[in-house]
Amino acid sequence: MAVSSDAACLGLHPGQKATDAMALVPELTTADAEPEADAQALAGLVDWCVRFSPAVAADAPDGLFLDISGVSHLWGGEAELMADFRDRLASNGLAFHLALADTPGAAWALAHFGRDGTIAPPGGQAELLKPLPPAALRLDPEAAAQIARLGLRRLGQLIDLPRAPLGRRFGQATLERLDQALGRATEALRFRRPPTPWTARLAFLEPISAPEDMARVTTDVTARLCARLEAENQGARRFEIAFHRADGKALPIAVGLALPGRDARRIARLLHPKVETVDPGFGIECVTICAYAVEPVSGRQIHIEAGLAPAVEDGLAPLIDRLANRLGPERVWRAAPVDSHVPERAVSRAAALGAAAAEARPWDPETPRPVRLFRQPEPLEAVTALLPDDPPRQFRWRGRTHVVRRAEGPERIGEEWWRREIGEVSVAHVRDYYRVEDAEGGRFWVFRAGPYGDPAAPPKWWLHGLFG
Amino acid sequence: MSDFRAIRAKIAAMESAERAHAGVLAFGCAAMDARLPGCGLPLGRWHEITGAGLEAEVSAAPAAFAALMAAPLAQRGEAVWVLRRDDLWAPGLAGLGFRPEKLIQVCARDEAEALAVMEDALATVGVSAVFGEVEAVDLTAGRRLQLACEKRGSTGFVIKRRPYGGTARKAAAGSVAATRWRVASAPSEPPAGEFGLGAPRFRVDLERCRGGRSGTWILQADQAYSWEAGDVAHPLRLVADLGDHELAAEKFAAAA
Repeated sequence: MAVSSDAACLGLHPGQKATDAMALVPELTTADAEPEADAQALAGLVDWCVRFSPAVAADAPDGLFLDISGVSHLWGGEAELMADFRDRLASNGLAFHLALADTPGAAWALAHFGRDGTIAPPGGQAELLKPLPPAALRLDPEAAAQIARLGLRRLGQLIDLPRAPLGRRFGQATLERLDQALGRATEALRFRRPPTPWTARLAFLEPISAPEDMARVTTDVTARLCARLEAENQGARRFEIAFHRADGKALPIAVGLALPGRDARRIARLLHPKVETVDPGFGIECVTICAYAVEPVSGRQIHIEAGLAPAVEDGLAPLIDRLANRLGPERVWRAAPVDSHVPERAVSRAAALGAAAAEARPWDPETPRPVRLFRQPEPLEAVTALLPDDPPRQFRWRGRTHVVRRAEGPERIGEEWWRREIGEVSVAHVRDYYRVEDAEGGRFWVFRAGPYGDPAAPPKWWLHGLFG
Repeated sequence: MSDFRAIRAKIAAMESAERAHAGVLAFGCAAMDARLPGCGLPLGRWHEITGAGLEAEVSAAPAAFAALMAAPLAQRGEAVWVLRRDDLWAPGLAGLGFRPEKLIQVCARDEAEALAVMEDALATVGVSAVFGEVEAVDLTAGRRLQLACEKRGSTGFVIKRRPYGGTARKAAAGSVAATRWRVASAPSEPPAGEFGLGAPRFRVDLERCRGGRSGTWILQADQAYSWEAGDVAHPLRLVADLGDHELAAEKFAAAA
């Protein structure tokens, strides 16, 4: 529950009953709480904050942590960074409180209970925290109530108490929160995106929007990051570029590589077609690029006789990157065996490039299998077959009658009963596969679903694949 | 007659001077290789494989024949198979002796994309064979494929396949394919005294061949569905020579 600033002036406050509020202000407008929309807006804000530092953590429901270690000098100092942050937030029409401190705990306390815009000097947060109420420690309600009951109104009183009785009385969590605020214990923040040290950014004096400008800055920022990767003998498998628009939206684009790489021209070429889809709106102010899945890549000499033994990096890896980024990674694959005798489960799609997981046994070439396997077996009509185990003599498929000349089988393939609920398992769930050849030489893989037995419901015949 | 031969040799020299010679892939039987220019399937070109009747839609025999024909080629490098429907089944290829672990499968969204992917793959170092299932290749697309083939000497196999339920499109007037094959399954013959099916057989029409002659044969994949399937140099064996229209015409001319 929340109230607007105008409502607060009229004496309303969160937690008040709606009827009480209506009594105070008869013309009150109420709106239902929308936690999902709030979370979404916060996520959007977190994305936007990446322009200041790559390490941003959402603090639900209404806050966020920005880790600015090592980036404030880009703005000329912490105060300048905060001023810029304030201007940009204000121009987006947001109400906010800012505070800056050594620890997330202290910054939270100062932002929620201190003066807006406090900047705690390094190591000096304890002095600033002392006049704040104990609730500034992000305590659970019971501990906070207990502390209030004992008449401790200031954090300073809490800090001065001996540690052992404090922990015994108010719980270990209270002690931990206190330590985190004072910098005696570390606190792990859940950053929205994994922090990567591999990031580069370009900011522009004037917002850009022309497609050729966007293509050029893509190339430039990629080259900047790749130069760093090259200097440290690293390569990355995934690159994410974000265009920060003047209206505060960040538009991300990602490309993946089959092998870790750092060839700026190649990566920029993969990015360019996707950059064209970005709507610059009123202009792009800033562009950032991050590299993920960074791993060491040794430098490679160009072969003089490149045609003799082409390396994977020369041809195949760029090809797969081009295809996977254009068509989508799920449309480029290499078939890998799966230990399953059920035909539709015997093949899995593995990454087109990279170490093949050689866990499953390869397919047995001695059991004939069709070249084409239908995803859905197709029903056969007018099948004549002798009972109980003979292959069909004749069948109709897609309007044509096929007279079987030769046949092999049956090969009985049962279902994988361990994949079903225990109640659904039945002996009738078997398929008898036959390899049959018709008079013209067409070779078919047909099966009968279930055994004979019930004269009222004879088993059905299906075509599952073609041998050619 | 000797003049005729000299002119032929001259034409062949002019044709081969245009492009780097990427070699040939011999079928390993004299009767077939003699019909093909350079005694084998020309590499660094693209070939067209079609099926008749229902095969134009499901395209099982053409796919199996292409895999068998290109199996020795796939040993030398990577192969790429561009699909429109993902019903190609790797265990079946493994049984024919085509190593699926060397095969990258790509599922394209439309015809133009399939051709573009083929072209891209053909021009890539380290790719030795590219298969593509497309409905038709017009002259422009055919030339582009040919240029891509010549870049690295890789070989393309266009398997003509109609989408399900679609009507046959009118075939393009000309084609720059090096060869055009029409493939259908043929009844197999198990060895005497054995039950079941014999080794897979195909009725293969070489309908068109640049610098060579057409012919019709029945070929058998002897080693299919055995552990030796991938190890033989020539996976297809000639079973019967069904016709040599030109030879017959020549004989007829000689008799007259």
